Amino acid sequence: MKTRQIITMLIGLTLFFSCEDQLVVTPEDNVETATVFATKGSINGAVVGIYSKNQSGDLNGNPQLMSDFMSDNVNFVGSFPSLQEIDQFETLATNATIDNIWFDAYELIGAANNIIVNLPNVDLLDLSETEKAQFIGEAKFLRAFTYFQLVNLFAQPFQFNGGTNFGVPLSTQVFTPESELSDFQLERSTVNEVHAFIEQDLLDAIATLPDSNGERAESGAARALLARLYLYREQWAEAADLANQVIASGEYSLALDYDFYDDNPTSSEHIFVVINTPNDGPQDESVPGSDEVYVNFYNPAPGGRGDAPFSQDLIDTFAAESGDRRFDELSQAASDAAGNATFFTTKYPDIVNNASDGMALRITEMYLIRAEANLQNASTVGDTPLNDINLLRNRAGLDDLDAVDLDAVALERRKELCFEGHRRMDLLRNNLNLRPSGGPESAPGANKVIFPIVDDEITNNPNITQNPGNF
Amino acid sequence: MKVKKLFGTLFTLLFATVALSQEKTITGTVTDQTGFPLPGVNIIVEGTSNGTQTDFDGNYTITANEGQALLFTYLGQKTERRVIGASDVINLQMEEDAQALQEVVVIGYGNQEEKKIIQNVGIVKQEAIENLQVVSADQLLQGQSAGTQIVNASGVLGSAAVIRVRGVNSINSGSQPLIVIDGVPITDTAGNTLNRGGNTGINPLSYVNPNDIESLTVLKDAGATSIYGSRGANGVILITTKRGRKGEKTTVTFDMSTQYSQSTDVPDILTADEFRQFKSEVASLQQGSPVTPESLGLGAIGSGGTDWLGGVQRTGISQNYNLGVRGGSEKTSFFFGLDFQDSEGFLIGNDQERAGARINIDTQVNDWLKAGMNLGITNNRLNRVGIENNINAPFTAAFLQSPVVPAFDDDGNFVQSGSFIPNIFARVALNTDELKTFRVIGNAFTEISPLPGLTWRSEFGVDKLNLEEFVRQAEFNTPGGLAQQIWVSEDRWLTNQTINYNNTFNDDHTLTVLLGLNYEETLRTRSNVSSTGFLTDDLRNLGSGSTPTVLNGDRFPSRLFGLFSRVSYDYKGKYLVEGSVRRDGSSRFGANNRFGYFWSAAAGWVLSEEAFIQDLNFFDFLSLRASIGTVGNDRLGTFPSLGLFNAGGFGDYNGESGIVPAPNPENPDLKWEESETIDIGLRTSFLNGRINFNTSYFKKTTSDLLLAQALPPQTGFTNINRNVGEMENSGWEFELSTVNIRTENFEWRTNFNLTTIENKVLALNEDAATDPQGRRIIDGPIQRAIEGESLNNFFLIRYVGVNPQTGDAEWLDVNGNVTTNPSSADRVVTGSPLPDFSGGMTNTFSYKGFDLSVLMNYSYGNEVVIDGLRFADGNDAIGGIVNIRRQNLNFWRQQGDNAFLPSPTSSTFNLFNQRSSQQQLDASYLRIKNVTLGYNLPQSALDKLGGVFTAVRIYATGTNLFTLKADEMDGIDPEVTDDIDPLFQGESFFTAPQAQLYSFGARLTF
Repeated sequence: MKTRQIITMLIGLTLFFSCEDQLVVTPEDNVETATVFATKGSINGAVVGIYSKNQSGDLNGNPQLMSDFMSDNVNFVGSFPSLQEIDQFETLATNATIDNIWFDAYELIGAANNIIVNLPNVDLLDLSETEKAQFIGEAKFLRAFTYFQLVNLFAQPFQFNGGTNFGVPLSTQVFTPESELSDFQLERSTVNEVHAFIEQDLLDAIATLPDSNGERAESGAARALLARLYLYREQWAEAADLANQVIASGEYSLALDYDFYDDNPTSSEHIFVVINTPNDGPQDESVPGSDEVYVNFYNPAPGGRGDAPFSQDLIDTFAAESGDRRFDELSQAASDAAGNATFFTTKYPDIVNNASDGMALRITEMYLIRAEANLQNASTVGDTPLNDINLLRNRAGLDDLDAVDLDAVALERRKELCFEGHRRMDLLRNNLNLRPSGGPESAPGANKVIFPIVDDEITNNPNITQNPGNF
Repeated sequence: MKVKKLFGTLFTLLFATVALSQEKTITGTVTDQTGFPLPGVNIIVEGTSNGTQTDFDGNYTITANEGQALLFTYLGQKTERRVIGASDVINLQMEEDAQALQEVVVIGYGNQEEKKIIQNVGIVKQEAIENLQVVSADQLLQGQSAGTQIVNASGVLGSAAVIRVRGVNSINSGSQPLIVIDGVPITDTAGNTLNRGGNTGINPLSYVNPNDIESLTVLKDAGATSIYGSRGANGVILITTKRGRKGEKTTVTFDMSTQYSQSTDVPDILTADEFRQFKSEVASLQQGSPVTPESLGLGAIGSGGTDWLGGVQRTGISQNYNLGVRGGSEKTSFFFGLDFQDSEGFLIGNDQERAGARINIDTQVNDWLKAGMNLGITNNRLNRVGIENNINAPFTAAFLQSPVVPAFDDDGNFVQSGSFIPNIFARVALNTDELKTFRVIGNAFTEISPLPGLTWRSEFGVDKLNLEEFVRQAEFNTPGGLAQQIWVSEDRWLTNQTINYNNTFNDDHTLTVLLGLNYEETLRTRSNVSSTGFLTDDLRNLGSGSTPTVLNGDRFPSRLFGLFSRVSYDYKGKYLVEGSVRRDGSSRFGANNRFGYFWSAAAGWVLSEEAFIQDLNFFDFLSLRASIGTVGNDRLGTFPSLGLFNAGGFGDYNGESGIVPAPNPENPDLKWEESETIDIGLRTSFLNGRINFNTSYFKKTTSDLLLAQALPPQTGFTNINRNVGEMENSGWEFELSTVNIRTENFEWRTNFNLTTIENKVLALNEDAATDPQGRRIIDGPIQRAIEGESLNNFFLIRYVGVNPQTGDAEWLDVNGNVTTNPSSADRVVTGSPLPDFSGGMTNTFSYKGFDLSVLMNYSYGNEVVIDGLRFADGNDAIGGIVNIRRQNLNFWRQQGDNAFLPSPTSSTFNLFNQRSSQQQLDASYLRIKNVTLGYNLPQSALDKLGGVFTAVRIYATGTNLFTLKADEMDGIDPEVTDDIDPLFQGESFFTAPQAQLYSFGARLTF
């Protein structure tokens, strides 16, 4: 009897000593780094992941919103202190919102670097060289898109000092557990160096991306972004040429009306859209649209916060020439977060799903670039500036102009692209104060018309240089 | 009953006649100290084997000779000796054993005689809690045990208390203690539910019915906790539920009560007209000419408004029913409990229905085998509301919403508020936010004793949590409507196999050896689906929406495997030593550090067993003990060490599946956080046990703290988790229990405890930010952890007040000079959320059938920061649209004014409410937590009720009746639980008030 009990007991115990093998548990909702390059499907997934990263409200949302309220398009009435700071040109290096922009940008760049650096060494039977080149081209386009955003926000523009001032650090490597931290504590490259890097990425992308690639980046998108870079660098001939190439490609055409704002990424208007869908927007795990900026800020309550109505200056600008469909059809009267009766844009109307698209590059901008560059260069590449501008005015329901000058192009550009994040750079590169009757704090070249390098970077990178100003 | 008595008497008589002539029959009744009959008292004739037991009515009959002595013994009572004299009747009222130290206490993986415990444990016994009427088990612990700090949850139903055993021992990993219910360590994942602000996620202690609890043991020092290895560092709370007793008459206890709930204290804010008056007066002064409220868009004085704060509150009425059945036969004992609670909170939209059942049963199969099972089931339905910094929180929204904003139109329909602060009445009335949970916690065991003193206990336990959350936002509140459903199942199964050997050699040497194995598998599964685009609010469910928006499904598996042993030895109960060791392997640890070893050693000396102490004739008990050991904290996340690519919503784009790198790169060295504790203690009992005093000192050094070491952003990663930090908690614990007055009919007892804890950060990561003194820091907007100082320091600009001469608000700059324009560089340490000392006091009074207990808890020397005051004070927050507290009416108007708010024309008027020590408030308090007055019907009354009941108790309870706190805390609760994150202690946006509860009930026993 007793012997039997002891034996039972011993058997019982030994059974459980094998539990140790059970301790290696494989994640089910994520994959380990090593498996990413194992199949073509997961490689494509890693490229798709870069687009997904680009949906972040900190990369497509906040920068556009800030550009509008730092300039004269939006009267910011929101209560978030970090945004108020920016609105009042008192941004500190500890500002949480710009910290997010900085980190999200480099996370995207890191994900792109992973493809650009590692994919060339991958050989898979079903992965052709063309496909590899295209994946790398997409990664380069998105990397260039992001660096351009960063350099515009964190560095004075090309016009400030001919591009010899500090830009942002150019990270091109992949971090692994074996990496030395010091290899990633980079100095800031100059604006010219950053621009050259972007230019090279875009030229590579143009060479490897197909002309048509669904809603993913195609060669036209890389050309369009390069046209914008040349415009900002005042390389008028190249700007006009590239804008004209996009227009002439026949891949895109001016939409007949303004329905391309409302969840319509296949519209001929779009060259590259940051697509947010109801079940895939800028969101964290559980809360739909939680990281969404456009819908949330540009719409009045309920549905939005009502923080970013039209500025009086913009209302006046539209009122100066009545009948503009870009106001009549793309605005709504409502009260803002501070309780004032005012107007809000309807360019981000999907309040139901918090999933309006980000207007990254559209064909209208190419007409505006071509017109401006041709005027500056006294050329008529593609068409005359007058025809280009009248084309846009006609769509807006306005009469033809008889003649255009730079101011007319700038005005058209503002009315066309307001709430899409262009205004701040358009004013700065034209050496104009960001605010009508603005003081020295909003003047071009002022310390806080750009952002400080974020505190987390300063703390962790001894080689970084802060922007001048009391940060 | 009477028949049985009759037979008994007849039998005794018969026996008596046969017996020797000098023997006589003694009868009597034994009662306890309160006069209740005591069944099951052992009575033996001293020096013989002749003995008997009292029956259910406390009566006994025994035959003995005159001159012999009877010994009366009963667990927990003093043994009494009575010499038989001429009388045939010996009635006896037994006295509670002064020390009650013979009692057995539940410890990790076993029991121990209380007298022989050299671990530092806090014990909350049944008698301390049986008359407490509480909603949730965490409230049973509050103020009861030194070293255990419970910051009570707000009065919002479903919110959890913050429980800290000996302070905060971690920075980034969890600091909650491990909770073990009848041997099953339960899961307590925060984040299973949608975030509704504050600490409302989950309350693990809401899954055990407080009425089912027999006792709670809080394991504090390493001697007690190291047997829980990688999970013991934050302390362990062992909950033991009620069991039957063998050979006990079955008793049925039915308890029902009704409870009324209201808020304790809410801030005093402006009415619509006061708001209009204030705004127009301020504008008039600023503009230098009269400004009417109409011209400010606020409507005319007297044109109505909304009492938002009044509208979100109500008197909640709750019903509680509880049934307990307890008994046992010779071999089998059982307890089962049923519990139903239908509660209404004091905030609109907040109510809860909870039903629970429990069966505990065990049986002695034969002389070597025992088997049993404990099973508790809880079903809960909660209507949730938001709290804290959340525009959907009724309290917060009502506080901030402008009083001039109407809630209804003339027809009584809801109207939009027009700002981002919603019409909260509409949100609550039209939306659904429901959380349903079902949880089973239980285990089955067998105990085999193949040899005397040797026991193999085999336990299989389960903790299964099913949770379903349903949200439906109405068209009015969310254009298009929204439905969301979340399902979580968190399942754990485990086995504990322990072999226990216990023997006493040569009467003097007692040895106990425990060998054990513990294996646990936990799988948390979460699905989250939502859709939008509903035609009408009447279409309720997900499928009726046109557009699915969220589709998440995740599984988080984890496993733990531990081997452990504990050896205890004592010599004559005088010299005691104990050692334990545990080896834990966890799937959470990195590949290079999969197994951790934890150990402890303890020694004790019971001085009262020594002759030289006994000669003093003073101490009933006196002991010294000390322990040292290590424990770990494994609350690191599921796969903290791996470098991963995330999929799903994080990586997908435009309908294509994608993956993105997770924010933290791989670290195969990642492991547990480890705490080493030294603990020294003294236990005394004197004046016949009327005074018990215990004290202990501890020092707990936690190393390998998991800190996120920031990486250069150019790596593409934010930070990497490394075990680099070091922190120390040290402090004193005092416990004093006294019997102040004890007469025949009246007794007054006091239990008092006090704890001090000092926290010090010893090391942060090398790359941490530094302050101007070169010390490493972790900086937050409100507080700052400083290396060499405390983890929690409020770090703010010092606010001085309004200068009566100038009307300017004044602050101090970093050098202590007055300034009217401070900057963030002027921040200094202004306070601490950690109390200098805290604790509780219970006074119990009994007079005949009445008993009164008064439980108080207190905290001294800590501050809180109410961040929401930046909005609720001053004139300009959020464009000036929000309501403010009444003291803002006192703004500076002329020289000599002692004003709250600066002059409207001062340059500081809009700076006033910037973040500063203005929002930091003194949070010391003394709170009358629970007052219970009970009356037990006397026997005569019970007889009049037909003898159906063996006891009837009628009681009334008041909770949070009174709080002594600083004047500046008017309207604000000092117990702040916005966040369980150690770095945000004592911070709140607007803490929802506590509930003031009045309940009335009766407990019937038969």
